[in-house]
Amino acid sequence: MSKGLTNVPFTMELRSQRHWDWKVAFYLYGAGTSAGLIFLELILRRQGVIDEPTALAGMWIGLVLALVSLAFLFGHLGPGARWRFLYVFRKPRTSWIARGATIVTVLVLLRVLILLPSVPGFTGLPWGEETHAGAMLRVGALLFAAAFMAYSGLVLSSWNSIAFWNTPLLPILYISHSFLAGLAVLPLVIVVIDGSASLAAIGSTLWSGLMILLLINALLLLIYVWGMATATAPARESVRRLLRGEHRASFWFGVVGVGLILPFVMVGLGMGQDLGANPATLAWLLTACAAIQIGGFILRDSFLRVGVYGYPV
Amino acid sequence: MARWGFTVDLERCVGCMGCVIACKAENGTPPSIHWMKVVEKEEGEFPYAKRTFTPLRCNHCDDPACARACPTGAIVKRPDGIVVIEQDVCIGTMACMSACPYYVPYRWDGEDGYYGSELVPYEVEKYAQFKKGTAQKCHFCYHRIDEGRPPACVESCPADALNYGDLEDPNSRVNELLRQKKHFRPREELGTNPSLFYLAGKGGGSVGGGK
Repeated sequence: MSKGLTNVPFTMELRSQRHWDWKVAFYLYGAGTSAGLIFLELILRRQGVIDEPTALAGMWIGLVLALVSLAFLFGHLGPGARWRFLYVFRKPRTSWIARGATIVTVLVLLRVLILLPSVPGFTGLPWGEETHAGAMLRVGALLFAAAFMAYSGLVLSSWNSIAFWNTPLLPILYISHSFLAGLAVLPLVIVVIDGSASLAAIGSTLWSGLMILLLINALLLLIYVWGMATATAPARESVRRLLRGEHRASFWFGVVGVGLILPFVMVGLGMGQDLGANPATLAWLLTACAAIQIGGFILRDSFLRVGVYGYPV
Repeated sequence: MARWGFTVDLERCVGCMGCVIACKAENGTPPSIHWMKVVEKEEGEFPYAKRTFTPLRCNHCDDPACARACPTGAIVKRPDGIVVIEQDVCIGTMACMSACPYYVPYRWDGEDGYYGSELVPYEVEKYAQFKKGTAQKCHFCYHRIDEGRPPACVESCPADALNYGDLEDPNSRVNELLRQKKHFRPREELGTNPSLFYLAGKGGGSVGGGK
């Protein structure tokens, strides 16, 4: 039995993009969070807020998260064609994807170099934390982490084909969310490395930082959606699909409920007590950190799914 | 050197889909891929409602958004303005699909043919030219153009709605039509500078693409 000419409707309509799916969303979330984590970790370590083992553990987790994200991206490439993946670096002059591939690769290499002196057998390498070369590597990692956070939004906002993405506010929102998700990984690292007592000791920095970032992200998201709701017809259609259409559940429940309100309430309750020193509040706060990660992924996924092209003519 | 352009006369198109079938027959594209489409649109309200047809294909833009977005350099512009995808270089990032405001490129991942997973001999021969996991789009039938023949869609159009020609030649068929009729280019505000013109009503304009 023949399939007929097509299963694609040949009608003039506002069509949403379907090809950049959850794998790309996970890459944008995972690699962005990993960049946010390394950025904050290097700053907090420099200020003496966290100790060296915690910083190194965070670096390992960030590295693994970045590599897992890259594996998802690799899976998204064309079957068969993906093995020519080294071609992805060829056009950095015009393509944001080529720039992003370069940035994330350099960032992974910098992290490997920073971590090597802590690996048994490589401890004599001359770029430890206290050395000049080590400091240079960390400055490089800081710059490339900042560049990747910006890239995760710029890659989408640079295209004028999809109005909902084509705004300078998108990189700002994604940078802010990378900081939020990166900072929310740190408490998990600290509890695993040093236990809850250490977490309570530096809690005032972490929890107040998380609270501020949650508020900034909520405000940016509000401005973003509000701005798009008054923009062109395709952007308004994207907002409709996000707030009232087929993706409303993932936006309201995942992004707003799990990603913003739940952590806000839990961190607020934890701050009102003893900053995680007792098991009950510790559980609340760690749940808040995990919820921020879920919200961060769903934010990227929802934004990709509601990307609507304008009319082609 | 010629700079190939294309005109679509919206008053003449009757929505017969002859161009769609001709493109399929010429290039043997798989079921999920349509290099040529004729989309329908309802306009107006009862009792003056009408159905209009708009043929869509790659516009072979002067500044193609797909080529700018492609990280591998697989999308190249020939000296005559035809934009082609080099399948040996494409890795299937689908950046071109996101960046093209006309949503023209497709990616073929080796899905079934028109009659299921077992391909008919015609499909076996035609699909051999497509590399699995790479982007596909209209290439202006450059194999025919290079032989001096018109693209398959132009040749098949019974209403003379589709035409092609050299935009640099003031006496070419497309420039003649552009002088005779009002015309516009799709989503011109995006700065892609398409080589395709839609003709709509009497009253001409500039020749050579009006760059």
